[in-house]
Amino acid sequence: MKLFEYQAKELFEESGIPIPKGKLVINVPELDGAVEEAGLPCAIKAQVLQGGRGKAGLIQLASTDDEVRAKSEQILEMIEDGHGLLVEQALDIDKELYLSITPEPVSGSALVMASAEGGVEIEEVAQSTPEKIIKERVDVSEGLLPFQARNVMFELGLDKDGVKQGSAMLLNLYDLFQRYDAELVEINPLAITEESALIAADGKITIDDDALPRQERFSLSRDYFESDIAYEASQEGIPYLKFDGDIGLLCAGAGLTNVVYDLINYARGSVDSYVEFGGPNYRKTAKALELMMKTEPKVVLVVTFGTIARADVIAEDLVEAIKRLEPDFPIVTAIRGTGEEKVPDLLGEVGLEQLEDTEEAVEKAVELAGSAKR
Amino acid sequence: MSIIIDSTTRVLVQGATGQEGRFWTKHMIELGTNVVAGVTPGKEGEEIEGAPVFNTVRRATEEFPADASLLFVPPGFAKDAVYEALDAGIETVVVLAEGIPVHDALRIRRAALSEGAMVIGGNTSGVISTGEAMTGFFPYWIERVYRPGRIGVMTRSGSLTNEITAQIVKADFGTSSLVGIGGDAVPLTRFAEVLPLFEEDPETDAVVIIGELGGTMEEEVAEAIEDGTFTKPLVASMGGRTAPKGTKMGHAGAIVTAGKGTVEDKVTALEGAGALVADQPSEVGELLQSVLTKVG
Repeated sequence: MKLFEYQAKELFEESGIPIPKGKLVINVPELDGAVEEAGLPCAIKAQVLQGGRGKAGLIQLASTDDEVRAKSEQILEMIEDGHGLLVEQALDIDKELYLSITPEPVSGSALVMASAEGGVEIEEVAQSTPEKIIKERVDVSEGLLPFQARNVMFELGLDKDGVKQGSAMLLNLYDLFQRYDAELVEINPLAITEESALIAADGKITIDDDALPRQERFSLSRDYFESDIAYEASQEGIPYLKFDGDIGLLCAGAGLTNVVYDLINYARGSVDSYVEFGGPNYRKTAKALELMMKTEPKVVLVVTFGTIARADVIAEDLVEAIKRLEPDFPIVTAIRGTGEEKVPDLLGEVGLEQLEDTEEAVEKAVELAGSAKR
Repeated sequence: MSIIIDSTTRVLVQGATGQEGRFWTKHMIELGTNVVAGVTPGKEGEEIEGAPVFNTVRRATEEFPADASLLFVPPGFAKDAVYEALDAGIETVVVLAEGIPVHDALRIRRAALSEGAMVIGGNTSGVISTGEAMTGFFPYWIERVYRPGRIGVMTRSGSLTNEITAQIVKADFGTSSLVGIGGDAVPLTRFAEVLPLFEEDPETDAVVIIGELGGTMEEEVAEAIEDGTFTKPLVASMGGRTAPKGTKMGHAGAIVTAGKGTVEDKVTALEGAGALVADQPSEVGELLQSVLTKVG
């Protein structure tokens, strides 16, 4: 679960990480109070989850009340979803740094990354000048130790006072990383102002979805999803992805789905969507088909080879769902695994043919998608 | 022979008395697994398929020493259950749960590394030594999927495993041991850590790895081949070659981030090290035939 910038900054503020003065506004009438809080000039930042807000015109500077109003209206028109605008004091920035913490799966630790080249995507720095990224590995049972924070800050080339501010900031950031089960905590840019103060100019926090049951403060709502279908799928615990092709994949098991996705591309077909109902979800075939009907693919391809995801149960549920929902797209089926011997007869009830081979099923689906009318 | 588990391995089942636990414990015993006891807090005195159930791992192992423990516990309780097993000195732990919080997984991995124990999972079907024993759930009774043989398998995906083992059987081979590494972002044991066991196993002639986009486990396998840790033939099949970047493809671990984890990079690394990479599952059988004929 990605948090909105204003939520990340709320957590920063609570933990003692300095942030710019500012206020969240939902609509234009609230702007006056926000400008009073932030001062002028100020930055107006759309609270949306997509990256590249600056380039998309979703972050703008304004230096008069009129400008604030005009630009806010302009941005609000551009965003359908989202959580309004964050109006913030514009900082006088001398230098921009980068700071983040992520899990490091190989050694089972946390990894602090820092760079004196902030303000750009860390991916770019990692590819062009990897030597400019400072790394500090943290033993998760001990937590980040003060000397490690100092290591990072001295490596960044900060002076004595900067190291003091930066170390405190990093220790607080680690505390948030741990306390909120984060997959990512990031300050980019970490601004050094002309008055030599370190301030988190932007903030990203991603909370591990698997830890949400114990993170009572945050829960996923419609705002965190691109579409109603994506939200509905998430509520059901069904992984759902939307692409812009023809074939809807109704598969049990992520690994198999990924291979089927490749096979369709190899066969010059294209994928419309991906609804995965494997493992503990295998009794949700009907729900998966319902979701599929909302994405309106040309053809649906059902491929499973399950163990726990019993083939006979899936086939039975699929047949029942087809009878009830009467989808108008052709369906290609290869439903195999535990109980597979019962599948051909079950599918026969609604005129479907059981295919034994994944590749054969993919070819059939691609062929049908090619000849289907839209 | 086989790796990690065979018919002599004394297996404890934590969370044995739930519906899934009971169902699969029965199948494990039917295959030949030596299940010595079950553990469910508050259920001491019950039995599971003839094996006694205890309240704690400590009490179970005092009476029935165990070499391995299989966990049928929900993801939020996995860390506690693994720690309980490690505390009792159990050296092999298999965690099936999908959705273990990442921070818990980091701690479990850290603890396992410092104890020198092997904790396998999560989000896996477990481990099976075909025709002998299993800790987990595999439909070993489906002959076109599970036939005893001399190919070792390691996998990040349960659903894809049956697809690939069916290809192995079709090419007239069978499997020695199959290790479900699992699909999580923090696998508790990594491909390269299992490879030395297959290297030493006289009854494994070649290894098939079922990988996918995301992470660096396949690259670590390439390193193990390059530095001579692993010398047997290796065939890899990987999903997600055409996946869009930055999209989490179903599994928590299946995502390309910061330009890392592309299947392209994995193919380059593995082929560079001398492994064979199947473009699609149906090629796995032919590739195995090509290397095993060469070996003689």
